Amino acid sequence: MDLGLVVYALNLAAIYALMAIGISILWSSVGMINMAHGATFAISGYAAWLVTGALKPVVAATFGKTVLASGVMAAALVSSALLAGALCGAVIYALAFLPIHDKPNYPVRALIITLALNIGTVQGLLYFFGPRNQGLPKIFGFGRWEIWGAKIRYDQAGTIVGAAVIMGLTLAWLRYSRRGLEVRAMMQNAEGAAYSGISRQVTALPILMLTGALAGMAAALLSQTIFVSPTAGVVPLVKGLTIALLGGLGSVPGAMIGALLIGFLEAIVGAIPFLGQRYVMSATFAFIILVLIVRPRGIGGLLDDTRE
Amino acid sequence: MAHLTRYSLTSESRRLILKPELLQINQLSAGYGPLRVLHEIDLTVRAGERIGLVGLNGHGKTTMMRAITHMTGWQQGSIRFNGVEIGGNRSQGAGRRTPGLVKMGIAVAPQGDAIFPGLSVRKHLECGAHTKLAWRERRQRIAQIYKIFPALDPLQDALVGKLSGGERRMVSIGRMLMADAKLYLIDEPSLGLAPKISKRVMEALWALPVEGAMIIAEQNVSLLTGRADRIVGMHAGRMRGDVGHVELV
Repeated sequence: MDLGLVVYALNLAAIYALMAIGISILWSSVGMINMAHGATFAISGYAAWLVTGALKPVVAATFGKTVLASGVMAAALVSSALLAGALCGAVIYALAFLPIHDKPNYPVRALIITLALNIGTVQGLLYFFGPRNQGLPKIFGFGRWEIWGAKIRYDQAGTIVGAAVIMGLTLAWLRYSRRGLEVRAMMQNAEGAAYSGISRQVTALPILMLTGALAGMAAALLSQTIFVSPTAGVVPLVKGLTIALLGGLGSVPGAMIGALLIGFLEAIVGAIPFLGQRYVMSATFAFIILVLIVRPRGIGGLLDDTRE
Repeated sequence: MAHLTRYSLTSESRRLILKPELLQINQLSAGYGPLRVLHEIDLTVRAGERIGLVGLNGHGKTTMMRAITHMTGWQQGSIRFNGVEIGGNRSQGAGRRTPGLVKMGIAVAPQGDAIFPGLSVRKHLECGAHTKLAWRERRQRIAQIYKIFPALDPLQDALVGKLSGGERRMVSIGRMLMADAKLYLIDEPSLGLAPKISKRVMEALWALPVEGAMIIAEQNVSLLTGRADRIVGMHAGRMRGDVGHVELV
């Protein structure tokens, strides 16, 4: 296996991990399978496209073609995607959590509402922007490094580093902040959290905004490799959901390991000559189903050495 | 409660009669779905009072504690806590008001401990410090908990999911003690523990320097006698007997 393949696998894993961690955290703390995660992804992509499109002439006029100009564009792209993702999270909170969170059968209702939001968003984006793919400015520039004979594109390296930084910040926030402690408490025992004065209504909003921002980050990074389109969120949503399941819903390290496994699996299957890209999806699902048959609690079940 | 025949008021109990009422439960019924567990319960708890709640399994002790904190499926009837009505009719949203009630000053050590298996003992205790004051003083307060339960001191960084039943109970009670509450609800502190450990937990509970009132649900009456100000019996979801200091015949 050459280095280029490893970088490609890590590139896939970074995007998948950003999606899967969001879905996993959301399920175990708020109790919601967020089908609108794909919609958040697509909206963040379009928000970044609109903002960078509007800023391009302004930035070009003030900074010219300098390094500073591309820096400003990169900051605008990432922050607009993060902000749009967080806003989507707040909208999901208002529509799919707040009105129904204390009704019976809440997880199913939330699933249906977020699925409706997802479909509605895709149709809305199609209506307003049309089915055409939109290219975003390349914030990492064009080009590649040659290391030990392997070619590493700037966008691949940037995606891996960017995702690692965002995930590191998220995990540090969960681990060391007070709000993060509350989220972890809620993930592990909802009743105990309630008896510790941790309110689900209050804590759900920052969680939804955080996971939305993670989806926005994934959109910003993936836009460096492929185009933005109304249905761009479907594949990341499916991959994120299945990887979150593979990791054992609710386990953040499990989701990360799952994303790495699937990233490498896809890269390797795609590189085998007689299999190729068309077998990637089936190989992924076969692997996930196999793991869940052997370990029903997913990878997280293996990591978890505490008793219930 | 036929065997609880002789009883007398201790001087401690007489002192408490003059204290204001902290919790007044009036005609409280509660249950889960079609199942009615509590039938028109009345109970008054005065500030600083320590009440033992006895009764067999499945006769409503836990449900009463859950009803006070809005954790049952439905409930009706009046619960006045510190002069504020927190009861009323409710048929869904179990647990929705619980964090608010905890912040009003009801601390709970629930049955089954409701621990966070993946958090360390210290983080666990920090979770209990939900008020501003408790959070600021959390280090001193955690040190205080370690003084009450010395067994927890060497386990500060251990995951609670790996601890034994007795240690978990101590963590759960420790979490309850982190913030100052007016009313402490402790559900079966001796459940599932070896007699020696359950005795130690109970001793620690009675020795607590807390100001608030306390309701301890317990099946083992001998762990309550001589220590509780009052013992209240529950049978088939109804209050049966409300007596002062009880001596077993």
